Amino acid sequence: MSLPHRAMGAPPIPHEFDRPDPSAFRAGLQTGLPTLFGIGAWGMVVGVAMVKGGLTVWQAAGMTLVAFAGSAQLASLPLIAAGAPVWVIFATALVVNLRFVIFSALLGPHFAHLPLRQRFYLGYISGDISIALFLRHYPQSTPAPGKLSFLKGLMYPNWCAWQIGSLIGVFLGSAVPAEWQLGFAGTLAILCIMVPLIINKPALVGVLVAGVVAVLAHALPYKLGLLVAVLLGMGTAMVCEETSNKVRRG
Amino acid sequence: MADWEIWIVILVLGVATACTRSTFWLIGHRVTIPPRVQEMLRYAPACALAAIVGPDLVLGQQGELQLGLDNPKLLGGLAALGYYLWRRNMLQTIVFGMLAFTVLRLWPAYWPVFGHGA
Repeated sequence: MSLPHRAMGAPPIPHEFDRPDPSAFRAGLQTGLPTLFGIGAWGMVVGVAMVKGGLTVWQAAGMTLVAFAGSAQLASLPLIAAGAPVWVIFATALVVNLRFVIFSALLGPHFAHLPLRQRFYLGYISGDISIALFLRHYPQSTPAPGKLSFLKGLMYPNWCAWQIGSLIGVFLGSAVPAEWQLGFAGTLAILCIMVPLIINKPALVGVLVAGVVAVLAHALPYKLGLLVAVLLGMGTAMVCEETSNKVRRG
Repeated sequence: MADWEIWIVILVLGVATACTRSTFWLIGHRVTIPPRVQEMLRYAPACALAAIVGPDLVLGQQGELQLGLDNPKLLGGLAALGYYLWRRNMLQTIVFGMLAFTVLRLWPAYWPVFGHGA
């Protein structure tokens, strides 16, 4: 950290590096461009899954504009269908989104000097891919000219591609007959997000335990089986990691 | 769920997004996550997603276990998983998985070989 921390309530330090920089914005846009189609397509899948999962067109459109979290949105659909309590849905969405906590911990220090409101909305619209691309471009958290514009060049188009794709999916999906069961595309999408998260053997064991426990405990009230499954899966993964570490150390 | 309840769920999802994504933008320069906790956090999302997908693939309408060849969701899901491991492309996987699922879903009606058909 090179920036001096300012006192609580002090006016934000205006930073010359944060002035709008069109060429940096364009550079960000160009960096993110190849991913925009995929983002839009993934948004479309979630849009279709939402209306096929039982939401009305307006609810689905509202969810995509407010929630902006594909996997958490998909995760909420079976819970809504089963009439799970709101706090269970909230807890599930938090857990599914936990990876963003790590992302925000990586990216936050880059922009700690910005005003609170701006930091809040930049965090809110940050997507996995934007963050990964940004960090590849700016590995150091020291201020640099055009950094903020570059970030916006990545994030704004990313947000737009997601929302446009989603809304297309919502309206397209509502036109497709229910017996096609397009909602299954959401399950397949979750599968594709889950696999890269299986980073090592303990994670694989955790995933298997979580899946099996969720099936066995599905009848528990309030969808508690889901949370039990997550906790047991995570716990097992941790135990596996500790054990393998001990074995390695001899 | 009633319409207003779904709108509450939508708002709650928005709060969940803001909580997880913005927290460290707001307080990140004051706190660092210990590596131990970071490792734990890494396992949570995969487990949560598995806990959602698992029952989706193997449970029927009434919550009955369906592990047989006549469950198009399970077979379609496994086919998609195989495809994803091979090609690592999400969009192709979803298209392939939906095709496999649809073929399997319609299959028994035309070929009564697998049991309950025509």
